[in-house]
Amino acid sequence: MMAASYFRQAVRRPHRTEGKGVNDIEELGLVRVDDRLIHGQVIAVWCKHHRFTRIVIVDDGVAADPFMQEVLKLAAPPDLQVDVFSIEESIKALSQDTPDRGTMMVLLKSPLAAKRLYDGGLKYSALNVGGIGSGPGRKNVFKNISASGEEIAILRYLMDKGVKITLLTVPGERSKAFSDLVGKGH
Amino acid sequence: MINIVLVSHGDLGDALIQATEMITGPIEHLFSVPLLPDESPEGFEKKLATTLREIEGQEMLVLIDLLGGTPYNVAARYVLKGNVECVTGVNLPMLLELVTSRDNVSLPELAGVIAQVGREAIENLGAMLNEQ
Repeated sequence: MMAASYFRQAVRRPHRTEGKGVNDIEELGLVRVDDRLIHGQVIAVWCKHHRFTRIVIVDDGVAADPFMQEVLKLAAPPDLQVDVFSIEESIKALSQDTPDRGTMMVLLKSPLAAKRLYDGGLKYSALNVGGIGSGPGRKNVFKNISASGEEIAILRYLMDKGVKITLLTVPGERSKAFSDLVGKGH
Repeated sequence: MINIVLVSHGDLGDALIQATEMITGPIEHLFSVPLLPDESPEGFEKKLATTLREIEGQEMLVLIDLLGGTPYNVAARYVLKGNVECVTGVNLPMLLELVTSRDNVSLPELAGVIAQVGREAIENLGAMLNEQ
């Protein structure tokens, strides 16, 4: 497959291990909110900067859509495993016993999905907000990231739980800490 | 006539059309649907659906710029329709071939030819010249 061989030429840098996090459980490699899920930035940039072995899409819609699953898997490089789970399934499937948590990229469509994951018991100490498109009720907060008042409140909730939230589209680009956006004290 | 639909990141589709028309002159039955930087997949999906409603039921070849990109993720579903083919990795030689040969072949055949033309247009000149 043409594109696959193109992607395979990627120079992969070793993934910097952050060590074990909450309760000595191996941290998930990256938890990212991006309403486009797998797309150009994720495959062409993120997967070249980190030695991810697995992309896990956590989305109830895609989990119920076999055609979309096929479309997403077709586009991934051959050495990258792609799995799709509903939010409920993922809480079990990505639990602390899962091997290779550290080289896993978890993709979520919305802050609400991130909150449901966290509240469901799948804790993470860092969250990357990488892309939320504009839409009714949303205003732009940083680069290509928009959010509604409700989404900001959800992110604030996660921040208050101790999750470090960073707005960043791709590695190497300018990033912004969510705490700087909304202010820490409130 | 088989409709051509370009789905791309930003201005790529429009620029490709401009470049092709520099060579062939004005092209008919050609549509470009760009994904804008701050556009959500849902927003792009609606825009694409609106454009394609105009040519609903007619044959169309959807040219996608990047396998795995958002335009691909959204447009891929149209391949499930009977009179639609999708080809990824669009480049200028593919568009040129399309414009000059779309009247003579069936849609599935055209999709196969276009994919092949796109692949064959790519050469590593230095290495190729060294071989000779």
